[in-house]
Amino acid sequence: MRLAEQPYELLDRDREIAFRFRGERISAFSGDTIGSALYASGRKVLSRSFKYHRPRGILCCRGYCANCMVTVDGIPNVRACEEPAREGAVVEPQNVLGSLDHDLLAVVDKIGGPFTPVGFYYRTMIRPRRLWPLYEKLLRNVAGLGKVPERDPHRRYDVEHRRARVLVVGGGRAGREAAAAHAAKGPGVVLADELPEHAALDVPGVEVIAPARAIGVWEGGLVPVEHGTVLLRFRAGHVVVATGALDQPLVFPGNDLVGVMLPGAVERLVDRYAVKPGERAVIIGSDSAAALAEAALDRAGVEIVHSLHLDDGGRAPRIGADGRGGRVRSITVDGKTFRCDLVVMSGGRQPAYSLLATAGARVEYDAVKGIFVPTEIPAGLSAVGSVTGEVGEQVVPRPSYEAAGGGKRFVCVCEDVTTKDVKRAIAEGFDSIELAKRYTTVTMGPCQGRYCQLQSTRIYAELTGTDEATVGTTTARPPWTPVSLGLVAGRHLEPLKRTSLHHRHEEAGATLIWTGAWKRPYAYGEVEPEVRAVHEGLGVIDVSTLGKIIVQGPEADQLLERLYPNRFGDMKPGRIRYGVLTTDGGRVMDDGTVARLADDLYYVTTTSTGADAVTGWFEWWNAIWGYEADIANVTGALAAVNLAGPRARQALSRLTDADVSSEGISYLDAKEIRVAGVPCLALRIGFVGELGYELHFPSPAGEHVWDALVGLGAAPFGLEPQRILRLEKAHLIVGQDTDSESNLLSAGMPWIAKLDKDDWVGKWATELAGERPFREQLVGFEMLNGTLPAEGAQVVEDGRSVGRVTSARWSAALGKHIGLAWVIPEHAGEGTSIEIRVDGQAAPAVVRAGAFYDPDGERLRS
Amino acid sequence: MTELAFLSPSACEAGVRLVSPLARVLAKVGPRDSPRDLSHLGKIEVRGELDGVDLSYRVVTFGPGRSLVLCEPDETLQAIEELRDQARFVLDQSAAFAAIEIGGEELLRRLTDLDPAALPAAGAFARVRAIVDRWGDDTFLVLVAQEHGHYVCEYVLDAMEGLGT
Repeated sequence: MRLAEQPYELLDRDREIAFRFRGERISAFSGDTIGSALYASGRKVLSRSFKYHRPRGILCCRGYCANCMVTVDGIPNVRACEEPAREGAVVEPQNVLGSLDHDLLAVVDKIGGPFTPVGFYYRTMIRPRRLWPLYEKLLRNVAGLGKVPERDPHRRYDVEHRRARVLVVGGGRAGREAAAAHAAKGPGVVLADELPEHAALDVPGVEVIAPARAIGVWEGGLVPVEHGTVLLRFRAGHVVVATGALDQPLVFPGNDLVGVMLPGAVERLVDRYAVKPGERAVIIGSDSAAALAEAALDRAGVEIVHSLHLDDGGRAPRIGADGRGGRVRSITVDGKTFRCDLVVMSGGRQPAYSLLATAGARVEYDAVKGIFVPTEIPAGLSAVGSVTGEVGEQVVPRPSYEAAGGGKRFVCVCEDVTTKDVKRAIAEGFDSIELAKRYTTVTMGPCQGRYCQLQSTRIYAELTGTDEATVGTTTARPPWTPVSLGLVAGRHLEPLKRTSLHHRHEEAGATLIWTGAWKRPYAYGEVEPEVRAVHEGLGVIDVSTLGKIIVQGPEADQLLERLYPNRFGDMKPGRIRYGVLTTDGGRVMDDGTVARLADDLYYVTTTSTGADAVTGWFEWWNAIWGYEADIANVTGALAAVNLAGPRARQALSRLTDADVSSEGISYLDAKEIRVAGVPCLALRIGFVGELGYELHFPSPAGEHVWDALVGLGAAPFGLEPQRILRLEKAHLIVGQDTDSESNLLSAGMPWIAKLDKDDWVGKWATELAGERPFREQLVGFEMLNGTLPAEGAQVVEDGRSVGRVTSARWSAALGKHIGLAWVIPEHAGEGTSIEIRVDGQAAPAVVRAGAFYDPDGERLRS
Repeated sequence: MTELAFLSPSACEAGVRLVSPLARVLAKVGPRDSPRDLSHLGKIEVRGELDGVDLSYRVVTFGPGRSLVLCEPDETLQAIEELRDQARFVLDQSAAFAAIEIGGEELLRRLTDLDPAALPAAGAFARVRAIVDRWGDDTFLVLVAQEHGHYVCEYVLDAMEGLGT
């Protein structure tokens, strides 16, 4: 029932709105929450409980407990008591099969108890194991908190990075005063508060953000704050925690009935939403919160039929609530029954210390006040107000109250944990509160212990014959409050590297695949024609992803000599050498080319995925050695294409005035030329085995050069044709044909290891490897029966593994399947017959040394 | 010594079509004030202290002895010549970086945790490495690897959508 206008109400009565609840139209005012509007319309049952499917309604009206969780516009677990009502919203209750009043799954509450004791899911439904998917589905449908939407959520979530000199969490009196005091010392003070009405707070010099909920405190003053659909990631120089204290429930039979509320909920319904919470009320408690609730009820015209003052001493009263249809109808106190539709229970106020605890504060029990208080607050944080334990005089209630008729006494309404569950857990040996948490799930629900930590500790203390200080609390971990996964995940945009030719590939219809952080063309159509174009005519491939590093300085040669097994100091400017990097352990790490452009200037290429790692490797070693050489990663600055095929020279000569003959640029020459008006570094190398020029040039000119080459008839080819072409030349790919155990000698590259050099990274380990017999060697092979082994296939002998395939492809040019494999030394000789497992059968193959295609390199050097 | 002309877009002949890494993204959304593509600017990496050097160019210092000198594209080659007399290592990195000007501190906060009061700085921007500096009164210059330019521009536009701009 809606009350007349209240002095501090949040409603704009001039703006009526409507939403739908279970298809029914519900009227509301702007400023209402979904929960307040439903309550005002007489709908007090908002959802069903987690396990027993008991009717549940508003308990805290602060957005903490699970009692009023509903699904709004497809988004589950929205707390109706804090979700603003908005025009056209579609609201559905959760955990219901049937209707809210007649939930078929309520059978669990009526007769399921003996079959579903605490922890039953750890002991039952385990065998037969094959039925687990069925059990899982059943349990998920019976229990749980709403359903994740199958389609994309309707909401957009963002992350915003904020900084504050001082961040005050909590906008109560103490929080406001602390904020004002800090603001007086300078700017940069932010106050975040959960309540929407606090957005209007005016604290001079303070930025107020509300509704905003801090979800944890991490190192470095990192405080993520939920602010609607934006996660504010605060970095604060100092964090003031002013989170106040929380009304605590009492534990008695029927304490979860709809209409049993905390005092703060009554106050908010009356004062903020002008809702009459009931007609006849009983109040149990004796602290200031109960008194404030009583005053609010008085203002709302609610008849208070009984007020039970709890006290510390004497006999504990017997208290039990009864209901019908899940709604409270009466409460019996020491044998006297009071008809009512509202019970206000106040078990004192407990400091909301969790944020401090997540940051490392200790939590100790104050036996006088019967509460846990934070102590030893870490540097960078402070606490003010009632969170410190200043909650005034209050009576310490009994752990629980009994009644003649019995009935479930809920310790945790979020997870439907009863006193019986706790007792049983202790009987089963879970006698520490941390173990009990995991077994019973008490404090693990959506309220995160706000309304069950204190009660469960008290009950544990009573049942184990200890005290609350000994039992302690469960460990507080962030997030302190449930947050949407979308809020934590942020935007789903994946960093992607594109070459400057990326869009040309898309336009040409290439199939793009992820290769590390890049997307590259797999092929533009059929693979074989692309291979054939390179062998017989002219092909062009985008190799911009190759790592490219400038090494410059008077001691650049010394640096490279010491980094690589190869020798570079004797290279003449304008020449190129293949280079392999090894780790300190002599393992093959990366490969590429090294071109000497001038006496003090080298241009290094690496694998596509190795650019950053190799740059870092160079810098790391040079920081130790201190050579006078600068290292610059220019990978992105340069586009690169490999123009390859018998027509490569002829085509290139049409785009440049430079002499590109075999005399002008011979094999393994590097030369700066202009191509189609673009300055290029031309490298005469040939990964794909045909006459080729690798052109490196400013990336913004990528499309210009590409278009010019394609315009001359160069056929674009992708990664898959390139893999075939390089395999025909038996060129290995580091990372595919090598692994963390491969060294230069076993990988068939002893000619690279210049053991007569003074030192290089990995020299000692390579020497050591040379003194020992190889465990395996990398060899080429060709299949003899027309089958194609999978990469990773076993090389076998008498059924046992003697090696593995790293690469295998069909070569149309050779008319056979070829590949590379690691085999034991006895099988590594040229012409050795081996067997490779293909589709479960041993298929014959023969080991081949050197390149399969153009073994003398005549085409390459032409 | 080679001039490393193959690194310089400015060394391309007239008539060579230079394409920004942001071009395709921005073409989709049409003309707008923000984000603005500044990738065409000359960007010269300089190693060594530039303190006391009288430069008419804009300098973004992003680490000890590490700076980027920004200039108009047609000034780049001249600027490199000037700088080579004054610094240990000078390299034309114009093509290495995509440069984006974005408007508003709120947008910046959606994209990076770098402190707007402590710019220029290098750090994560849209989940990739970047150098960020103030550019105009309420605008910021973001330099990211050119290969990330398209992605970062999409990220910026998405963040702007989140802000309703």
